[in-house]
Amino acid sequence: MASSLVAGFEILSFAAIIVLVVLGLGIIASMMGIFNFAQGEFVLLGAYITYLAASRGMPVWVGMAAAPFLVGGFGFILEALIIRRFYAAPIVAMLGTYALSLIIREIVRGLIGGLYLSVPEPIGGSIDFGSVHISAWRLVIVVVTVGVMIGCYLLLARTSFGLRVRATLENPALARASGISTPAIYGATFAFGAALAGLAGALVVPVFSLFADLGIRFLIQGFVAVMVGGVGSFMGPVAGASVIGTMSAALPWIMAPVIADVLVFVLAIVFIKFRPQGLLSGKGV
Amino acid sequence: MAESGVAGLAPATGLIASRWRVLPIVELGVLATAVVLPLGLPDYLTVFATRVAILALFAISFDLVWGYAGIMSFGQALFFGAAGYGVALLGRDLNVSAALLLLPAGLLIGFTFALLLGGFLLLGRHPTSMIFVALGTMTGSYAADRLARGWYYLGGQNGIPSIPPMTLGAYEFGEGAVFYYVVVALLVISYLVCRFLVRSQFGLALAGLRENETRIAFFGYKVQHLKAIVFAIGGAIAGLAGSLYAVHEGFVWPNMLGVVISTQVVLYVLFGGSGTLIGAVIGTVIIEGVSFWLSDNYREIWPIILGVLLLLVILFRPLGLISFVLSERERVGSFGAKIGRRSHGAS
Amino acid sequence: MSELRADLSRRRFLSGLAFTSGAVATGLGSWVIRPDWANAAEGPIKLGIATDLTGPIGYAGNADANTAKMVVKQLNDAGGLLGRPIELFVEDTASNESVAVGNVRKLIQRDKVDMVLGGITSSMRNAIKDPIVARGKTLYIYPQLYEGKECTPYLFCTGPTPAQQCDEFIPWLIKNGGKRFALPSANYVWPHVLNEYARKVIEASGGEVVFEEYYPLDQVDFSATVNRIVSNKVDVVFNTVIPPGVGPFFKQLYEAGFQKNGGRLACVYYDENTLNINQAVEIEGLASCLDYFKVLTKDDPVSAKIQAAYEKDYPGNFLFAAGSAATGTYRGLMLWAAAVKEAGKVDREAVAAALDHAKIAEGPGGPAEMVPGKRHCKMKMYTAIAKGGNYEIVARSEGLVDPKECCAAARRGMARMERSRQAHG
Repeated sequence: MASSLVAGFEILSFAAIIVLVVLGLGIIASMMGIFNFAQGEFVLLGAYITYLAASRGMPVWVGMAAAPFLVGGFGFILEALIIRRFYAAPIVAMLGTYALSLIIREIVRGLIGGLYLSVPEPIGGSIDFGSVHISAWRLVIVVVTVGVMIGCYLLLARTSFGLRVRATLENPALARASGISTPAIYGATFAFGAALAGLAGALVVPVFSLFADLGIRFLIQGFVAVMVGGVGSFMGPVAGASVIGTMSAALPWIMAPVIADVLVFVLAIVFIKFRPQGLLSGKGV
Repeated sequence: MAESGVAGLAPATGLIASRWRVLPIVELGVLATAVVLPLGLPDYLTVFATRVAILALFAISFDLVWGYAGIMSFGQALFFGAAGYGVALLGRDLNVSAALLLLPAGLLIGFTFALLLGGFLLLGRHPTSMIFVALGTMTGSYAADRLARGWYYLGGQNGIPSIPPMTLGAYEFGEGAVFYYVVVALLVISYLVCRFLVRSQFGLALAGLRENETRIAFFGYKVQHLKAIVFAIGGAIAGLAGSLYAVHEGFVWPNMLGVVISTQVVLYVLFGGSGTLIGAVIGTVIIEGVSFWLSDNYREIWPIILGVLLLLVILFRPLGLISFVLSERERVGSFGAKIGRRSHGAS
Repeated sequence: MSELRADLSRRRFLSGLAFTSGAVATGLGSWVIRPDWANAAEGPIKLGIATDLTGPIGYAGNADANTAKMVVKQLNDAGGLLGRPIELFVEDTASNESVAVGNVRKLIQRDKVDMVLGGITSSMRNAIKDPIVARGKTLYIYPQLYEGKECTPYLFCTGPTPAQQCDEFIPWLIKNGGKRFALPSANYVWPHVLNEYARKVIEASGGEVVFEEYYPLDQVDFSATVNRIVSNKVDVVFNTVIPPGVGPFFKQLYEAGFQKNGGRLACVYYDENTLNINQAVEIEGLASCLDYFKVLTKDDPVSAKIQAAYEKDYPGNFLFAAGSAATGTYRGLMLWAAAVKEAGKVDREAVAAALDHAKIAEGPGGPAEMVPGKRHCKMKMYTAIAKGGNYEIVARSEGLVDPKECCAAARRGMARMERSRQAHG
C-alpha cells in the first residue's frame, strides 16, 4: 500500500513537471500557431538564473522568483525583434527558433563549461507519513503547478485581459478591427509562455541539476504532448502533458526503462495520426 | 504552398537571358573543384573532404524531400543511421565487407524505412498537416536514437566500433584519395538521378505540389502518394550516405540516428539554398569547412556564430546563399522538353 | 567553495584561454606546446593527447590535459627524453565520438605523433582506438578505470580494472554494509561488463545480487529504482550510473531515507571532481575504491609533491583525481618515458616491447608496474568513504594489486592481431 502511494505521488510529480514545461509551449502554439524550438532553452535560462543567484550567495528562492520575470522579459524582447516575423510561416518559425535555441544553449554552455552543477532546493528533505517518504520539494512543484494552472485559467476565463487574448485567438482580424492591439497581445502571450518555461526551469533545477542540454530533454516530449493534447486551447496542452508525463513516469515501473522510453513516443504518434485534432480540440479555454 | 511561406520572399525575377544559365556554371564549378581537390590537399584533409562529400550526399536526400516535395523531414538521420547500423551489423555478425553488398544494402535499408515511416505519416484518409509530418519524422528519429541507445545488441550508448573497411574483391578501401573519388562519383550519380527526377514530368507534378497542393489534388494527382514516393527515394539516398559514412569512419553510434544530425542536415540545406540540389552541397561544404577551421581557434564561440549566421539567413535570405547568384526562375527550372527559350511549366 | 563558484562564469571563459596561454594555436591545428629548445639533429619527440576538453566529461578531460602538460614540462626541464624535447599536441574529443575520430586523425596524419594517450569513456576509447592503433599504427595508452577485456596489441591501459576495483572492495562492502546488493547501471559497455565481474565477486564473498538494471544515460527520474531498493531492503547500492543521471539518483535515494536506514552507497568512479555533483549530506558515507585520493598527500610525500605541483600550475576547478583519469595519465606518461629511455628510440615496436615491462618507483598513490604480456598495470588501491565533502581512507591494499586482465585472451588477441596485420599490411 505504502509503495503504491509513493508510486502514485512520484508519477504525479513527474507529470506535474512536464505540465509546467509544456504549458508555455502549448500556449504559444495555440495562440500563434508556431512551435517554439527555443522553449527548452527558456527552461534552461530559468535554471541558469536560479543557479547564478545561488552561486552568488543569494537564497535560492530569490533566483526562483526572479527567473520567470527575467525570462519573460527576454521572451518579450525576442518576440518583438525576431519571432514576429515568423507568424506567416510555421515551418520557418521552427527553424528560426531552432537557430535561436542553438545560440542560447551554446552561450549558456560556454558560461557553465559543460559541467553538471547542482543547485540546492529551498525546501529540502522529505516528508514522512509513517513508512512513506515523499520528497518535500517535489510536493512543492506539484502545488505550484496546480496553482499556476488555476491562475492561468482564471486569467483567461475571468479577466478582461483574458477576454482579449481569447478574442485574438479566435479571430485575429476581427479582434484587430475591434481595437485590440494584436501585436501587443502576441508579445504578451509569448512573454507569458517564456515566463512559464523560466519558472519550470527554476523549479526543476534542484531535481535535474544544471547542464547545457537540459532544454533539449524536454523539447520533444513537449511537442508530442502538445500535439496529443490538441493545439488551440488552454486545456489541450495541459491534458496532453498530463498524459505524456504520466505515461513516461508510470511505464518504467512495469517494463524496462528503455522500452518505456520509446513506447511513449510511438503510442503518441500513432494516436495523433488517428486523431489529428488531439484529445481536446477547439479554441479558447 | 502557403505553409512554406518562403517563396513569397523571393528576390525579383525576370527572364534575363544572361542570368538564365547560372546553375550549370555553379554545378560544373563545384564538380571541377571536387575533382582536383585531392591533388592539392594533404592526406588528412582529403579524408576530411571525403567525410564532407558523404554529408553532402545526405544533404541532397533532404533537399529532394523538402525543396522539391515540400516535406519538412526533421528525421532524415533515421535512414542515415539505420543504414549505418545495418552495415555495421553486417560487418560484425556476418563479416560482410564487399562494397557491392554493403552499398545496395544501405540504399535498401534507407528506402524501406522511409517507405514505412512515410507511408504511415503521409498516407491515410485525411491529408496530414506538414507540422504533423515534421514532428512525426522528428519523433521517429528520436525514438530510434533512444532505442539504439538502450539496446545492448546494437552496442547501446557505445555504438558499434571497429567496422572493417569496405572491399571490392581483394582491394580494401582505406581512407584517402581513392575513397574520396568513389564518394564523389556516387555523389554525382545521385545528383544526376535527382536532377532527372525533378526535371521530368514527375518533377513537374512535384513543382505544382510545392506551389499549391490543393489545386494539384483537384487535377487528379494523388498528392500523398507522390510525396511518399519522393520520401522513399530521399530515404534511399540517405541510406546510401549512411552506409558510406559507416565504412569510412569505422564506427556507428546512436547519435547518427538522432535529432541533432537530422536538424544539422536541415541547416546545411537551409544555408545553401533549398530546391536546387547544388545548394545542399554548397551549404554542407561551407558549414562543415568553416566548422573545421574555426573549431580549434574559437571552439566555444563557433556554435554561437553558426546559430547567429543561420538566424540571419532564415530572417533575411530564406532561400539560402545560392539565391545570391541564382534567380528564383532558374531555381524552379524547366521540365520536360523545351520549346524555344521558354519552357512549360511551373512558376 | 562558494567563492569559487561565484567566479565560475568569468573564470570559465578565462580558463579556456589560460589553457592556451602556454600553447600556440597553429593555423589549422589545435594546441601545440612547443618546447623552448630543440635538438638540431632529430627534432622533438611528438606526444598526442586526445581527451574531452568540452562536453559532459569535460571535468575529467581538462584535468588530464593539465596533468599531461605538467608531466611534459617536468620531463623537458630535466632534459627531455633521449636528449630530445617533447612536443605536446592536444586535441579535444569533445565527449563526442564522431568529432573525436576526426580530431584524432589530425594527430596521426597531420602531426604524426609518436604516441597517443587519451580517451576517458569506454565508448570514446572504442571509437578512437581504430584510427590510432589499426589504421594509424601508433602506440595508444588508455589512462582511465574501465571494464577490462581490452587486449588489443599496442594498446596499454594504466587505469584500474574491475579486479583491482572489486576484489578487495566488495568484501569490505559486505563487511561494512551488508549482503544484499543492487546494481543500478547506465546502459553502456562499462557497467555491463563491470557488473558481470562484480556479481562473481559478490556471490563468491557470500553476498547476493537482488537486482541489476540498466537506464538510458540521460534518465533523471529514478523513483521506480529507489522504490525497488527500499522495498527490497537492499544493503549496498553498487552504482554505475554516470552523469547526468547520478546526481538526481543519489538525491532521490537520500530523500527516500536509504542512508538513514543503514544503507551503503558504493561507486567506483567517484573522486574529488564528482563530489560537487551532490550536496555533501546526500552522499555521506559513499564508498569508492581508486588508485589515489587527495587525502593520501598527508602521509605520502611523493603524492604530496605531485598534487602540489599540479595545484600550483593549475589551480581551479579541474582537480587532480583518480576517477577522472588524471592519475592514470601521470602514470601512463611516466611509464612511457621509462620505456622510451630503455628502448633508446621512439618507433612503436621498440617502445611497446620496453613498455611491456616498464616500472615506475614514484607515482600518485604509490609505484606502478606493467604486467609483462598483459598490457595492464599493477598499482596500489585504496578504499575511501566520503565524509563531510571529503574522503577518508578506510582500507589500503597490501601492495601492488594485479589487474588480472588478458590472461587466456592474450594469445587469442595476438593471433587476431597477426591476421589483421597481414591483411592491412
